[in-house]
Amino acid sequence: MDRTNPEKPSGLFNGIVDWMDERFQVRTLVQSALHVKIPRKAKTFYLGGITMFLFMVQVVTGSLLALYYQPTPDRAYDSVMFIMSNVNFGWLIRSIHSWGANLMIVSVVLHLLRVFFQGVYKRPRELTWVAGMFLLIVTLVFGFTGYLLPWDQRAYWATTVGTEIAGAMPFVGEFALNFLRSGPDITASTLSRFFGMHTLWLPMTLAAMLLVHLVLFHQQGIADPTKPVSRAKPDASATPEPEGKLLPFFPHYLLSEAIAWYVILGILIILASLWPVGLEAKANALQTPAHVKPEWYFLFLYQLLKFVPRVAGVLAPIVAIPLLVLLPFFDRNPELKPRKRLFAVIIGLLTVAGIIGLTIWGQFS
Amino acid sequence: MESTTSATRPDKKLVSRRGFSRFLLGFSFISTVAGAIIPILGYLLPPPSANAGNGGRVLVGTTKDIPIGQGKVVPVAGKPVMVINSNDGVHAFSAICTHLGCICMYDPVRKMIICPCHDGQFNPVTGVVVSGPPPKPLASIAVSVDGDNIFIGEA
Repeated sequence: MDRTNPEKPSGLFNGIVDWMDERFQVRTLVQSALHVKIPRKAKTFYLGGITMFLFMVQVVTGSLLALYYQPTPDRAYDSVMFIMSNVNFGWLIRSIHSWGANLMIVSVVLHLLRVFFQGVYKRPRELTWVAGMFLLIVTLVFGFTGYLLPWDQRAYWATTVGTEIAGAMPFVGEFALNFLRSGPDITASTLSRFFGMHTLWLPMTLAAMLLVHLVLFHQQGIADPTKPVSRAKPDASATPEPEGKLLPFFPHYLLSEAIAWYVILGILIILASLWPVGLEAKANALQTPAHVKPEWYFLFLYQLLKFVPRVAGVLAPIVAIPLLVLLPFFDRNPELKPRKRLFAVIIGLLTVAGIIGLTIWGQFS
Repeated sequence: MESTTSATRPDKKLVSRRGFSRFLLGFSFISTVAGAIIPILGYLLPPPSANAGNGGRVLVGTTKDIPIGQGKVVPVAGKPVMVINSNDGVHAFSAICTHLGCICMYDPVRKMIICPCHDGQFNPVTGVVVSGPPPKPLASIAVSVDGDNIFIGEA
């Protein structure tokens, strides 16, 4: 980027950049986006970036699937079968889309846990956390709506049970069920609705929320999990960090992030090649398969619903999600170190242990 | 530059560490991009349609459906076929106009295959262009009559 750099003589690329710079000041833009410093002690494990990378993979593979997929009950199953068996690399594209969705859930949840246990959702990053929570919710809805599209037995019955859960909500249950299914039953309208949600509404929502999340993140920089931000001194720039404790975002951090993306891409291709995603029998509204279970990331809820009253199981996430979204506003302890915020850490660990336990139980029950 | 390499092989140009790293980086980048693009391009190519038909004869009607002096467009393996029963016997052509792809019809009054789009006219026995813009005759299709039944395609 440096014009005076003797390593980069003026070539075509530099000429284009010069042309753009004259008109749009692109160098300043790139400078402000990339040439920032981050705390050397920051530990992100690259999870946010990995989630974003997986979202990009989902956009590419999903756009490709939409070229052959036909969202009607008559054609959906056959068109997916056609993608899997007739279209070149169709099995690979669909398998990457399916595995990418699973990995995206994993990385977004790990990202949330990293931010929670480092305590870096706290002031001044409350809104970044709120935007991140919405991204998590949108990601889960993505998983739920995408699940119906192949129109096989698993898809049909997981959606039946999932929408029934929404229907069990007190007061608004019937409305929610009718809204989700576009009527009382799962029909062609439901499939159109889920397809439109999955391919138009959710991607646009996620992209917009992601932009907000990234702008907020960029404005504040990566958090230093060893340094609480004092309420008394809101202006962090008053005491600038010594240079030795900082690291350039570009190229140091971005290079590591790129390596992480590369590793994830490799994992994705290996998973998709060794365990390509399958297709069950075509959806049959008159026959429920023996063990109908949701995707693994909803298993804890499925298991919970087995032994608590239905209303309680449905209300649990309705209460838990807003609590989690608003966490930075009522957790006002400024400390970041786990031993100085034992209550939050223990509650967090118990929740994680509970969810993992219920998931394993649900898997093997 | 008195290293042993340049002393023993003065004609060999030394590759700098930076140059070698750049080569590796460029190579990896290009192979990754190619690895992603090739499946995507392959995916975009439409696969052969499952609707292409499997050869053999197809029953399209009887001489009662299409009496002498009449013509009818029938679907065969997803493609429109013009079947004409004339005094000279039964003939069949592709019903797709060679001009711009509209579907032709038989006009029993004019005794002509006509295209409704740009008024192309074809001979109902030979399929050649009689008037209008079509550049080529209609493709002839094998047809046979067995009793009353009209079949399209080779037996």
